[in-house]
Amino acid sequence: MPDYLLDIKGLETQFKTPDGIVHAVNGVSFGLKEGETLGVVGESGCGKSVTMLSVLGLIPSPPGKVVAGEAFFFGQDLLKMSNEEIRHVRGAQISMVFQDPMTSLNPVLTIGRQLEEPLMLHIGMTKNQARERAAELLAMVGIPNPKDRLNDYPHQYSGGMRQRVMIAMALSCSPQVLIADEPTTALDVTIQAQIMDLVKRLRDELGMAIVWITHDLGVVAGIAQRVLVMYGGFIVEEATVKDLFANPSHPYTIGLLGSLPRIDGKQDGRLYSIDGHPPVLYQTPHSCPFAPRCKWAMERCWKENPLLTPVSNEHRVACWVDTKTGRAR
Amino acid sequence: MVTFIIRRLLLVPVLLFGVTVLIFAMLQLLSPIERSALYVKDFPKNEKAVDGIIKLYGLDQPLYVQYWRWLVGTVDTVGVRHGGILYGDLGYSRTSSIPVAELIANRFPNTLDLTLWAVGPVILVGIWLGVQAAVHQNGFIDQAARVFSIVGTSFPTFVFGLLFILIFYATLHWLPPGRLADEYMQVVNSDAFRHYTTLITIDALLNGRFDVFWDALKHMLLPILTLSYISWATFLRVTRSSMLETLRMEYVTTARAKGLSEHDVIYKHAQPNAMIPVVTLAGFSVVSLLGGVVITETVFNFPGIGSAAARAATQLDVVTMLGFALFNGLILIVSNLAVDILYAVVDPRVRLS
Repeated sequence: MPDYLLDIKGLETQFKTPDGIVHAVNGVSFGLKEGETLGVVGESGCGKSVTMLSVLGLIPSPPGKVVAGEAFFFGQDLLKMSNEEIRHVRGAQISMVFQDPMTSLNPVLTIGRQLEEPLMLHIGMTKNQARERAAELLAMVGIPNPKDRLNDYPHQYSGGMRQRVMIAMALSCSPQVLIADEPTTALDVTIQAQIMDLVKRLRDELGMAIVWITHDLGVVAGIAQRVLVMYGGFIVEEATVKDLFANPSHPYTIGLLGSLPRIDGKQDGRLYSIDGHPPVLYQTPHSCPFAPRCKWAMERCWKENPLLTPVSNEHRVACWVDTKTGRAR
Repeated sequence: MVTFIIRRLLLVPVLLFGVTVLIFAMLQLLSPIERSALYVKDFPKNEKAVDGIIKLYGLDQPLYVQYWRWLVGTVDTVGVRHGGILYGDLGYSRTSSIPVAELIANRFPNTLDLTLWAVGPVILVGIWLGVQAAVHQNGFIDQAARVFSIVGTSFPTFVFGLLFILIFYATLHWLPPGRLADEYMQVVNSDAFRHYTTLITIDALLNGRFDVFWDALKHMLLPILTLSYISWATFLRVTRSSMLETLRMEYVTTARAKGLSEHDVIYKHAQPNAMIPVVTLAGFSVVSLLGGVVITETVFNFPGIGSAAARAATQLDVVTMLGFALFNGLILIVSNLAVDILYAVVDPRVRLS
């Protein structure tokens, strides 16, 4: 068993809604190694973000609640920490970047003020030290005239620049883990590439581990070493990037890969898509949650939810069917 | 910021012109005969007098001439100016038997005094309660605040006013209506009492007469409570819903993800954003209170602008009503200017665009 920096076991998160309790994350277990980049893929509503927000205790409660699980980080269970304790992990050792840079910065506070906050809070810098460090951080993420731009407000920055600020803020206290929650989804393609290059450069310089949440397999191929595929609040496949693209084993992964546009592919016809929508689970399912959309589904898939089982070294799949042969495993 | 204020100030003359045109247009709803007849005894029998007034004041002239004359008045052969609102002559109030401008000057400080005492606590307490209600959504404070605000917004003002009079004045004899007890009125009118601001409470403090201050406050307490309760409720509701919306914003999650304490998340990151709609509301409240709170002032027999306007309106004192309308327009323009500047202070997107 490898030594994980962040080791999550059996995480379950539920939301109370007027229609009933939604099971958003259903017993998710995975580990994050030091310095590695882990991609987490799946459609919207598969529990990717909720999983990571749960780990940091950022699920709005009520209505959300982490009902089971452990998340070990340097030997301590993050899920059992008090608010006061986990506050000193957030932003200092594990930090987050969110999807929409237009809404994730506070519009009435200057960029400088927002960058200085974690420095003063976690490192104990004085206001002046924090200000200087904030300018260095802006320079690090490639913003010109950083000293002057500290006095600007978020609306004076473009979307790509705001995401750079978010990244600078997240990395300001040299965290061991950076959780990037779809940080490029809301950006133009060219800006996406710039942000990914920036994160890769900073990863090489600073050596933090990254959890990169996305619904874009192309992005995963470009940045991650390992990938988790999530569906209906379950991990359905886990593999190294190379292995996943070469031997996708879960029908959902195959569907996701099939719906990628290919520059060398046939130009005619419509892009492939998986019929249907991800489920909203009001109870723990007693069948495979993907069965209704699966063309390989057999009788057993409707009776039992498959567990994540190894198919080869570092490759695990939750499926009753061997998709290569179409027969039961 | 400076250019913003200058640009905004340049708009003021345009708005003032609009207000005068609008009020002048409303005046034209009455025919020249109707307007003059108000000043003639036994009108139907005395048509000559009406004609005389129409001639004297040029009511048969074209509208633009009349409008100009209303603005700047006329200068007679000895060089004395008669009328002209631009020169501060708003006409003569029949109901109060003094010039309208003087009436406003006498009454407005009282209304301003009342407004200051009613608005200050209202804004602070209303906002505080609203934030608490939003932060502890569905908790005890929230539920209590909601009941409080529903009662406040659904009861008419005069019901509260009368209830308060019944309890504190008629039954308990704690608090009197009116402005000041006679003995203190003599103090205020004496030469020894310096009028720095014309607001009795503040002047009393500046003169070191705490007994006068206390008496003035006692007289205002019931109207203050009546006005406050209704405004509190509105402030609370607006602050609460704005705060709830803000707490769902992504930058609040960002603030939490940075490791900030819940106190800093709420008061440093969320609240400044949630205050933007509250500023608008504060502006509206101040305007409506300064324009004279007709019902409250009438119920408590408080000598402010509102009670004077109510009397003028019920006795068809058109000149006084026009004066008040003009004055209200002025207050509205000035308050809107203040609200716009406040906006720029709380929201950098307004300030810097």
